[in-house]
Amino acid sequence: MEKFSFKDVLILFAGTIITIGIAWVLLTVTGFVPREIGKLFFEGAVVGQRNILNTLNIATPYILTSIATVVSFRVGMFNIGINGSMYIGGLYAAWAGYKFTSLGHIPHVSLCIAIAIITGSLWMLLPALLKVYAGVSEIISTIILNFVAVLFVSYMANGPFRADPIAPATPRILETAELKQYFPNSQFNSGFFIAVIIAFLTYFILKKTTFGYELRSGGDGLVGFYPSRYSSYLGIPSDRSAITGMLISGGLGGLAGGIEILGNARYFYQELLFNQGFDGILIAIVGKLEPIGGLIASLFWSALRNGGLFVDYKTEVSREIVVILLSILIFFVSAQKLVSSLERFKFVRKLDAFFTRKIK
Amino acid sequence: MTQNNIETAVEVKNITKSYPGVTANDSVDFKVLKGEIHALVGENGAGKSTLVKILYGIEQPDSGEIFINDKPVEINKVDKAIELGIGMVHQEFHLVPSFTAAENIGLGQEPRNSRGFIDWDELNSEVSNIAKKYGLDVDPKLRMIDASVGIQQRTEILKTLYRNANILILDEPTAVLTPQETDELFEVIRSLVDEGKTVIFITHKLREVMEISDRVTVMRDGKVQGVSNTKDTSPEELAKLMVGREVFMQVEKEEAKPTEKVLEVKNLWVHDARGLLAVKNLSLDVHKGEIVGIAGVDGNGQTELVEALSGLRPTSKGEVIFDGKNIESISPRKRRRAGLAHVPEDRANTGLNLKLDIWENLVGTSYFRSPLSKGGIISMKNVVDHSNNLREKFDIRTPGVFVRTGSLSGGNQQKVVIARELSEDPLLTIASQPTRGVDIGNIEAIHKQLVEIRDSEKAVLLVSAELDEVMSVADRVAVIYEGEIVEWVNPKDVDQQQMGLYMAGIKD
Repeated sequence: MEKFSFKDVLILFAGTIITIGIAWVLLTVTGFVPREIGKLFFEGAVVGQRNILNTLNIATPYILTSIATVVSFRVGMFNIGINGSMYIGGLYAAWAGYKFTSLGHIPHVSLCIAIAIITGSLWMLLPALLKVYAGVSEIISTIILNFVAVLFVSYMANGPFRADPIAPATPRILETAELKQYFPNSQFNSGFFIAVIIAFLTYFILKKTTFGYELRSGGDGLVGFYPSRYSSYLGIPSDRSAITGMLISGGLGGLAGGIEILGNARYFYQELLFNQGFDGILIAIVGKLEPIGGLIASLFWSALRNGGLFVDYKTEVSREIVVILLSILIFFVSAQKLVSSLERFKFVRKLDAFFTRKIK
Repeated sequence: MTQNNIETAVEVKNITKSYPGVTANDSVDFKVLKGEIHALVGENGAGKSTLVKILYGIEQPDSGEIFINDKPVEINKVDKAIELGIGMVHQEFHLVPSFTAAENIGLGQEPRNSRGFIDWDELNSEVSNIAKKYGLDVDPKLRMIDASVGIQQRTEILKTLYRNANILILDEPTAVLTPQETDELFEVIRSLVDEGKTVIFITHKLREVMEISDRVTVMRDGKVQGVSNTKDTSPEELAKLMVGREVFMQVEKEEAKPTEKVLEVKNLWVHDARGLLAVKNLSLDVHKGEIVGIAGVDGNGQTELVEALSGLRPTSKGEVIFDGKNIESISPRKRRRAGLAHVPEDRANTGLNLKLDIWENLVGTSYFRSPLSKGGIISMKNVVDHSNNLREKFDIRTPGVFVRTGSLSGGNQQKVVIARELSEDPLLTIASQPTRGVDIGNIEAIHKQLVEIRDSEKAVLLVSAELDEVMSVADRVAVIYEGEIVEWVNPKDVDQQQMGLYMAGIKD
């Protein structure tokens, strides 16, 4: 992955315009007035307290899963199992949320979050060890573990953790375990702040600490190149870096699941559907595999999603149209060859140099 | 050479080709006469490769004209170049290892029999015929996996001849050969020319230019610096044109004054990645104040020896004693701390992580120490100061230390490795192929640094496949062949021919 540059902004801009054009055509042929739909879409994404809060709330798990992807890519691992970690972390956060009855608010929430992180992280231990000691591709093992996770949580919600005789679900978590919702008209909760803090913390750790340097020396975007000869040459234990990176990645996935339960759902039920772990991979790539990039891309992505939900709610337009448009946009953003072909134009090179200097 | 100088085989006029940020070819005029051996020389990044890529249809020029046999042509793809009778032997061979020589040569243009199947007999006999005609000794049925580098190269040449090439472009063909194999290659080139072919010979070894070529074109910074008849010029003059200033071809150094022993290797056995024995019962020692050279053709155990000494590869048997202590089983970082630095042969994947910024590669051995970091947190200010100091001291040409290391030229990347390794003031520096892919101006600087280390009472172990380098820089030289030291020599007492025999494992 190349460094972020002004060219990316241009491509994103151009991609957005083309996407809008396609949306225009799609809406017109299906018998809608594009301008009105567009207005609704924009309103749903970023206008008004309620819509903004909902956008931020949707962004929370995306932020965490995209950063989980960033961390795993940085150690040279392609972790596709973040969604599995989300399920596991969510399940055990719910369990801790109703199981511990005599704790105060802060200790209880902290305990639930810690358990979500630890369980999500341990879920990644097996693929990490298999990769390092047996050479099993983490891509294969984590994909399989995603299925295992879904079946496992479904069993647990149906069996050992089931409370409701009618529906397969855990008991509701206690009030002391809830992440606070501040507004009556939105599920927006303090989990969002945790996610933002994690984004900045990850940036700091990766870029400014020796620990982060050791993690990155093993890969840094060279996905699939673990173990990198460079880190073994420096005497950095690359096996340890790879395992640590996978555990952090899984822990962040678990945290994302935990926050969904503690802040939004408040109990774990069998039909609960997570897919942010997969979207997080795309978002991380859009964010150029940088933690802060992941944060910004998550907010952008959620705004589009929420706008789509709003349109779906207000009109007859199918929600799938938003998914189509998002996919087209992703195509443009990840089109690295298009990005580099822009260098042909002199003004792009100049702008690039100008902005690069400013950032330094 | 056949005297038919009226016609030109290749002529390019006013070719310009730019990439983002660099002009690789700047109004280049280049002319090759029919039936001559034309050397194209220049440092890395001088534009030689771009020029031949344009001739071979891999790259398109921004402007300019190309004439083949006096006819204007447009070479927009490789097929077109082949059609025009141009053949190219790349520096890295493009051969299928599990195929035989003939299968590789015929690949894509296999003769068919009446039923439409490949006619193997026809292919084999045609390859034999061509091989015989040009004195290229290749068995058509030999699988490439079992072939020596020299034979692989001849197969590449045959591949171009099979496609009726009249103009052959050889890109640094001698880089992988022993002196004897080089002599054989030169024989082949001469016989090609005798049969009316034209050869463009790309190299940076001036001795070879003088020996084989009829005319020579020198490039620097994308421009042609001069064209002359080889017999009217000298290596010194060519070097000056290549670098743009006076270059000292000979390394200037005093007599070595070795003192105490710093490294002792006793009966070392090392296996390679496939589990085969690569180093067999090897012993050597290095003293402070001397440069010990290890000469040999690539792939004779040098890689494994160096990796075992630096801690990247486990040893099987034997002892490595460094500064009085056994170090066979300690980690690379502990070896570094004890004063052992290592410039690895593979800088792109081992010596550097090209995805990291320059500063990040420069602090790879020291980031965990004060003042570069305190309590696990990197002090950006100190790190940047440190990096900028090294950048100045080792003359790393870059717009800044926050630049991706992969965007530097090979020579500058190598300077990053050397700067980092020498910044720790090591007792012993193991330098493996330190000037591979580095241009003449920088080679001179690197050699000077190695001699400086020696003169400051430290030791150097120099491993290189470049015979000239080992002979001019090292004070004592061990010749390695199939994992064993064939002979210790004093570089002053032995000639190239004798060294070539040792490198081929022949001891008198």
